Amino acid sequence: MIDGVNDNLSLNRLMPGGASAAKAGVGAATGGGAAGGASFSDVLEKSIGEVSRLQQDASKAVEDLMAGKSQDVTGVMTAMEKSDLAFKTLLAIRSKLMDAYEEIKNTSM
Amino acid sequence: MFENLDTSASALTAQRTRMNAIAANVAGMNVTHDADGKPNPYRRKFAIMAEGHPNDPDAPGVHIVSVEQDQSPFRKVLDWSHPDHDKDGYVKMPNIDLAIEMVDMMEASRAYEANISAMEVSKSMMNATLRLLA
Amino acid sequence: MFINRLINQGSAPMLEQVAKFTSQRHGLLLDNLANVSTFGYQQKDLSLDGFQAMLRERSEVRQASPPGSVGYDDIQAEVENPQSGILFHDGNNRSMEQLTSDVAKNALMHNLAIELLRKQFATLDMALKERVT
Repeated sequence: MIDGVNDNLSLNRLMPGGASAAKAGVGAATGGGAAGGASFSDVLEKSIGEVSRLQQDASKAVEDLMAGKSQDVTGVMTAMEKSDLAFKTLLAIRSKLMDAYEEIKNTSM
Repeated sequence: MFENLDTSASALTAQRTRMNAIAANVAGMNVTHDADGKPNPYRRKFAIMAEGHPNDPDAPGVHIVSVEQDQSPFRKVLDWSHPDHDKDGYVKMPNIDLAIEMVDMMEASRAYEANISAMEVSKSMMNATLRLLA
Repeated sequence: MFINRLINQGSAPMLEQVAKFTSQRHGLLLDNLANVSTFGYQQKDLSLDGFQAMLRERSEVRQASPPGSVGYDDIQAEVENPQSGILFHDGNNRSMEQLTSDVAKNALMHNLAIELLRKQFATLDMALKERVT
């Protein structure tokens, strides 16, 4: 079960095509073009959509539990935890990107 | 804000008063003379409870209306050696049945414990709500 | 207006109503427990099934409307006098076991709603702070 959780958390899962596409995507973004596969902006857009979907799922699960439509408390708890982790991952990626941008901006010529 | 705790506290007070009446009954089971030494058998006491907090009748809770004396007839016990026997040899003893008092005592104690645990639940709910801010 | 929509997104409005309902019901159940020995006392309760049915109805309406227009604020459960259980000779149909278990269940539901609500607000807070912890 731990492996499954790690698998879900890994960036490979967030970005389609696996790690190689991620590296290619990053290279393409810094290169300024969409060469050899999905561009980084597409990948980022898809991840945001994924996180949003997970949050909506969690929200719906909570509402179903509270309104008596389902009795699955553990399901609701895991859905909330998943959406929370996905959001935190996206936030961490965004922070790293911003830091990288700041560093590049402050490079003295 | 603390109306829940007030409700449970009023229940605790009422049940304790009831316990006091029961304890007095058990203690006075064989009492045939009153405080002045005259023959006057002890009458069973019981508490009457009603809805409404003692301080505010509209608030939820319970209060003791009065502690009444049971007017049922005294027990007559045949005892020629007792100084207070009447012309047929009967002595009037208090109208207290130990079995009934024991059951009432268990009921009062159970109600007391239930209200204490309800107070604990109220406190935990309030703590959980306060943690929203923390 | 969009701030209103931001704060009231997801399941937060429903969780708020559930928490209000459970605290109201807690008060009534405590009153019942306090009056276990009272002659002729009428048991009071808020129907959980009725309340959940109202929530379900309103969430369907909410899904069909534009976001932020429909809330749960006006859903109010009514106090009823349940006649179930054994009617004792003193006119009181209390059952201590039922009452204490109802108090426990209600408290658990309240704590669950509050925790989920806290988690919702914590996510918003995290996004605003731009830090993961």
